[in-house]
Amino acid sequence: MEVLKEKVEEEEEAEREEAAVRAERGEKVVRPMEVRREEAPMTQEMLRDLEKKLSDIEMAIPEKLSTFTKDTIDISKLPLSYQSNTLKEEHLLQVADSFSRQYSHLCPDRVPLFLHPLNECEVPKLVSTTIRPTLMPYPELYNWDSCAQFVSDFLTMVPLLDPLKPPSHLYSPTTVLKYQEGNCFDFSTLLCSMLLGAGYDAYCVNGYGSQDMCQMDLTRDVCPLTVKHQEVVQEEEKVPPKKYAIKPPRDLTSRFQQEQETKKLEEIKAEEERRLREEEERLLREEDKEATQYPSTFLWMISHPESQRRKPDVEKAKTDPLHGLRVHSWVLVLSGKREVPESFFIDPFTARSYSTQDDHFLGIESLWNHKNYWVNMQDCWNCCKDLVFDLGDPVRWEYLLLGTEKSHLSLTEEEEDGLNDDDDVENLGKEDEDKSFDMPPSWVEQIEISPEAFETRCPNGKKVIQYKRAKLEKWAPYLNSNGLVCRLTTYEDLECTKTLEIKEWFQNREDMLELKHIDKSTGLNVDYFKPGHPQALRVHSYKSMQPETDRIMEFYDRARVDGLVKREETSKTMTEYYRGRSDFLSYRHVSFGDRVKKLSLNSAESNPRPIVKITERFARNPEQPADEDVAERVFLISEERIQLRYHCRDDHITASKREFLRRSEVDNKGNKIVMTPDMCISFEVEPMEHTKKLLYQYEAMMRLKNEEKLSRHQAWESELEVLEILKLREEEEEEHRLTISIYDTKRNEKSKEYREAMERVMHEEHLRQVEAQLDYLAPFLAQLPPSEKMTRWQAMRVKDECLSDFKQRLIDKANLIQARFEKETQELQKKQQWYQENQVTLTVEDEDLYLSYCSQAMFRIRILEQRLNRHKELAPLKYLALEEKLYKDPRLVEFMKVFV
Amino acid sequence: MNWLYDSVEPRVMDEDMLKLAVGEQGPRDEAGQLARQEGILFKDVLSLRLDFQNILRIDSLWQFENLRKLQLDNNIIEKIEGLERLVHLVWLDLSFNNIEAIEGLDTLVNLEDLSLFNNRISKIDSLDALVKLQVLSLGNNEISHVTNIIYLRRFKDLRTLSLSGNPIAEEEDYKMFICAYLPDLVYLDFRRIDDHMKELAEIKHQYGIDELKQRENLTQAQLDDERAQREELEEHKAAFVERLNGSFLFDSMYAEDVEGNKLAHLPGVSELLQAYKDKFVIICLNIFEYGLKQQEKRKVELDTFNECVQEAIQENREQGKRRIAKFEETHLLSLNAIRDESEVTNLEMKVAEHSKDITELFDMLMTLEMQLVEQLEETINTFERNIMDLVALFIENVQSLMAQCRDLENHHHEKLLEISINTLEKILKGELDEDLPYDVRALFVDKDTIVNAVGTSHDLHLLKIDNREDELVTRTNSWCSHLVDAIHKDEIMRNRRRVKEIHQYVDHVQNELDNLECSEIID
Repeated sequence: MEVLKEKVEEEEEAEREEAAVRAERGEKVVRPMEVRREEAPMTQEMLRDLEKKLSDIEMAIPEKLSTFTKDTIDISKLPLSYQSNTLKEEHLLQVADSFSRQYSHLCPDRVPLFLHPLNECEVPKLVSTTIRPTLMPYPELYNWDSCAQFVSDFLTMVPLLDPLKPPSHLYSPTTVLKYQEGNCFDFSTLLCSMLLGAGYDAYCVNGYGSQDMCQMDLTRDVCPLTVKHQEVVQEEEKVPPKKYAIKPPRDLTSRFQQEQETKKLEEIKAEEERRLREEEERLLREEDKEATQYPSTFLWMISHPESQRRKPDVEKAKTDPLHGLRVHSWVLVLSGKREVPESFFIDPFTARSYSTQDDHFLGIESLWNHKNYWVNMQDCWNCCKDLVFDLGDPVRWEYLLLGTEKSHLSLTEEEEDGLNDDDDVENLGKEDEDKSFDMPPSWVEQIEISPEAFETRCPNGKKVIQYKRAKLEKWAPYLNSNGLVCRLTTYEDLECTKTLEIKEWFQNREDMLELKHIDKSTGLNVDYFKPGHPQALRVHSYKSMQPETDRIMEFYDRARVDGLVKREETSKTMTEYYRGRSDFLSYRHVSFGDRVKKLSLNSAESNPRPIVKITERFARNPEQPADEDVAERVFLISEERIQLRYHCRDDHITASKREFLRRSEVDNKGNKIVMTPDMCISFEVEPMEHTKKLLYQYEAMMRLKNEEKLSRHQAWESELEVLEILKLREEEEEEHRLTISIYDTKRNEKSKEYREAMERVMHEEHLRQVEAQLDYLAPFLAQLPPSEKMTRWQAMRVKDECLSDFKQRLIDKANLIQARFEKETQELQKKQQWYQENQVTLTVEDEDLYLSYCSQAMFRIRILEQRLNRHKELAPLKYLALEEKLYKDPRLVEFMKVFV
Repeated sequence: MNWLYDSVEPRVMDEDMLKLAVGEQGPRDEAGQLARQEGILFKDVLSLRLDFQNILRIDSLWQFENLRKLQLDNNIIEKIEGLERLVHLVWLDLSFNNIEAIEGLDTLVNLEDLSLFNNRISKIDSLDALVKLQVLSLGNNEISHVTNIIYLRRFKDLRTLSLSGNPIAEEEDYKMFICAYLPDLVYLDFRRIDDHMKELAEIKHQYGIDELKQRENLTQAQLDDERAQREELEEHKAAFVERLNGSFLFDSMYAEDVEGNKLAHLPGVSELLQAYKDKFVIICLNIFEYGLKQQEKRKVELDTFNECVQEAIQENREQGKRRIAKFEETHLLSLNAIRDESEVTNLEMKVAEHSKDITELFDMLMTLEMQLVEQLEETINTFERNIMDLVALFIENVQSLMAQCRDLENHHHEKLLEISINTLEKILKGELDEDLPYDVRALFVDKDTIVNAVGTSHDLHLLKIDNREDELVTRTNSWCSHLVDAIHKDEIMRNRRRVKEIHQYVDHVQNELDNLECSEIID
């Protein structure tokens, strides 16, 4: 009873909501009308136009706001197949009805079959015909996982009105796609259509699922993105011990002691486990107590799934009183086609695949594809674990239509069917001509997904999924101005209040930022970049963007000239790792001292931190003997010491070392000391004569001094680079420009402009062509009596008239030019006369004015003269051209021929 | 030519002169001061200039082992000599001297730049050893024949050549000829050869060059063939079965066998001989193939052994290195601590502690080494046993095959004897139809003679077979013992080196500590 009451309440609420929406909408509609009324009177047409537009708007609003009930769907626009049944379909429905009757007669204790729900036009349709196998034109939708992901992203889940019963209506996949909403049956029908189109052996399943699954409640699931990929530890191939492998030294440790040790460890572990178990049990008991206080919790949860999700969740699922009764629909993919090795379920809500043994699936009533319908005759006492998906076995699966899809029992036949699906009908007929009745084609229209919709994916391009201790938000690309496409927030607690870490994925960023990982507990930010950052940055992890703080930058070393792989910084040190350098440098560590306070206030100069120590390591240079190839050199700058360590020879365990002291440049008497034996302490693996010489040591020290300078310079440059990168990063973060592929015609402004320009040019070209095709004969032809065939005489006359008219026009034009010319000359003459008369009294300005006038007039006259001459020259030619054209005119040509 | 210097007394290259030159040309400034303090050893000198010294004879240069560059221009040298020890020489200048023939350069394989400008050379030769030669200056000499240029074709790296001032350069075709026959040359007589010129020259002398090339290729191919054959033989020798892949042994058996060859003329013997040869060769081939197979086996065995030993040594070395690295860290720290310590008792304690550390390290390293020695010894013994077994097996099998050869020989001998006696009887009876050569017939005088002749032949054959067998066996055995000896010796050397190294290192560390102590106490 309570269920019913809740339902009524819910309906009422829905009505109320709708009313509110309608009221709002009404306001919206009315207001602009009022505004308009105050303006100038409108014509009837405008009014009608406006009304039409408004009505269009009115149509759009409810669709968006509706809770997807049948009255919001515009039935009138749907094709005929949606609104009525064909004869065959009627027949099929009858068959289904009789099947259903027999079934209920034979199994009176089972619920009625979900066979032919009503569609959006209130027409009963068999569920199998609602499936419309379609292969999508997107290569991304060719595999089952991406298909399922798309369906789960694209549609918004609406819970079943009655969670214990299949819905009364099952809409077509096209309608579902249009409104982007649906219940589990809509989801699985759409997904099944796509999978069948892609060649999978897929079935829609009507069955029973767990509460979490039916309500798409992922709050108890761990987000798949947070699960770390378990490193598959590659079993090292055990090399068979070689014939002459040396025997390991004898193990002299006591085995007894080892055993005692392990025993102790195990005991400690067991103790720990026991303690944990007790803790858990205690918690559970408390929860149970809590649960008993709210006996009707589950009902409340059903009608308010949203609020339920927000409700503080508990680690363990509560026992669901409706367990095993909740109706759910999902997709079954059988093995065999598309190289599927094993049958599995897909939950269309979450797009996850489950094995057929999974605990979430509690039972199956029936399943169907576009060809047939099967009723499960097996016992589901142990969920779906014992079910055998051998649809050809009539004891386990009762079929609606005989032998549409052949059994798995007879393998050879099945293969045949697989090979030529098209022949199914024929085979059928041969097998059983009397009883066979094949499934009519689907009444649903072709499923189409526009590229825009495909790219946007989620309704309005945004989707939020709540997982256990995590929230996943998805956006369509280009929706966010900073390129954000996905954000995963992980929380510490189940209530999702304390943020643990945030991961943000970006796309199409110009700075190639791919992933930003913010760890709230440590305050560590890690940015990951794709190849192509201007500074070849790969990973940047930092706590603050201030220089001289802890940070690690990793680079794409192939893209850098200096082969830098990684640079680690702390407040006092900087460590750089290199790879593939020609000088074999692989590591440089710089320690800084405290800044010395500058006495002078000259702050314009930067005050670099003093370098205390530089350590550089080199890889082995195969061209030099090991004794001369430096492995590590340490410049102790403050102590004025240089330490060298050489590489180890291949057959040695010790390496040569050398230390230079350059403390005493001048001895106590003030004499300059060049080099003394105690300035160089060395240990040589194999003492050599020449290295003992002071000269050799002196030269080596001079070289090292130079190199020290260079290394210091390098360190300074590295510091500068860090500053530069930080500045660049800040700029990039502020700007966050997005790149647009040149193939993206919709977004690429440049190409758009170019295209528009091209179109404009085309249009103009077209106009010009139209102009060029002006008919010079038209006015003369119009004089002729209409709809009569021209006589030769008439044709001649038309031609002559046309010519004479043209001649006249040429003459007129010449006359016109002549007249203007004369006028100009007259005026000039007048002016000249006037000038001569008043020459004496004229001011300088007037004279200038006159002179400029004269020159202009002369210019005009000359131009006119030129024009006249040109006209005179061209006129006869033009006349001849016209004559020729007229001779060739298709309308006159037949008359002219005779004369020629 | 050197009339300028005629009036001057020739000087002798002696120690003083060289010292002076070295001192003058050595390092300058502060480094020079140091150099003067210590003195410069001749073998450290890399470059030496001895021009305008009126040297008549090159001498006393043997100490300059590492000399890279030597200038002896503008002297009155008449003969190139005394340069044999300067094998590292890259740059040699002997221009403006009185040299008449190129000689004494056979050891200077690294020479890249040779200048013999303004001498009296009339023939280019004796430069075969100078494979790296890039620059050759022979201007102002008396070279007149073009074959000298063809001689220069063997220097693949030669890029610069100067021959101006020679009689040959007066010829009309001189440039063209050189460009054509030395196509890799870039500079001739201090001028770059332009490509156009090269093309022209090539067209002009195409026939000559083609012919020359053909000849060169032929010689080259011949050389290659010979080398390949030599290598193959070498390989077979390593397997101890050289020349057994054919009838070589059989032929050698009959090479010195006068009687045997004579007897071959008897009726039926040639067929017999043919059959015998076929069988014999088949056995030889068997031995040969078996030998190669065994050689392969031995090689695999040896490789595995070497690999394993190397691995073990490497592993041991890594361990040692780790120990030392670990020690070095503590060593530095404790040295610093000792340096900073002021209290005498503490100081002594620390010093004692550190000495203990050092001893510990020494013990550890020595233990590691001893462990390795033991392990290696065991492995080496196993290997020794195995390789001995292999060799013994090989010898045994070869001996059995050789025994087959001997059987064949015996068999053949019997048959031959039978035929011989039959023939003798026939001859004695006068029934022989065929004509035998006179010297063959001479054998058939009586039974003893013929039996003796056949016996000699047989003995000779057996001797040959025995010799071959002995050779194989001795060589195999000696190889085996050499190998084992070498392995043992290597291992001992390795051990000695390592022990020495450890000692040296520990001594050094101890020294460091002692020095510190001393200075501390003095302070």
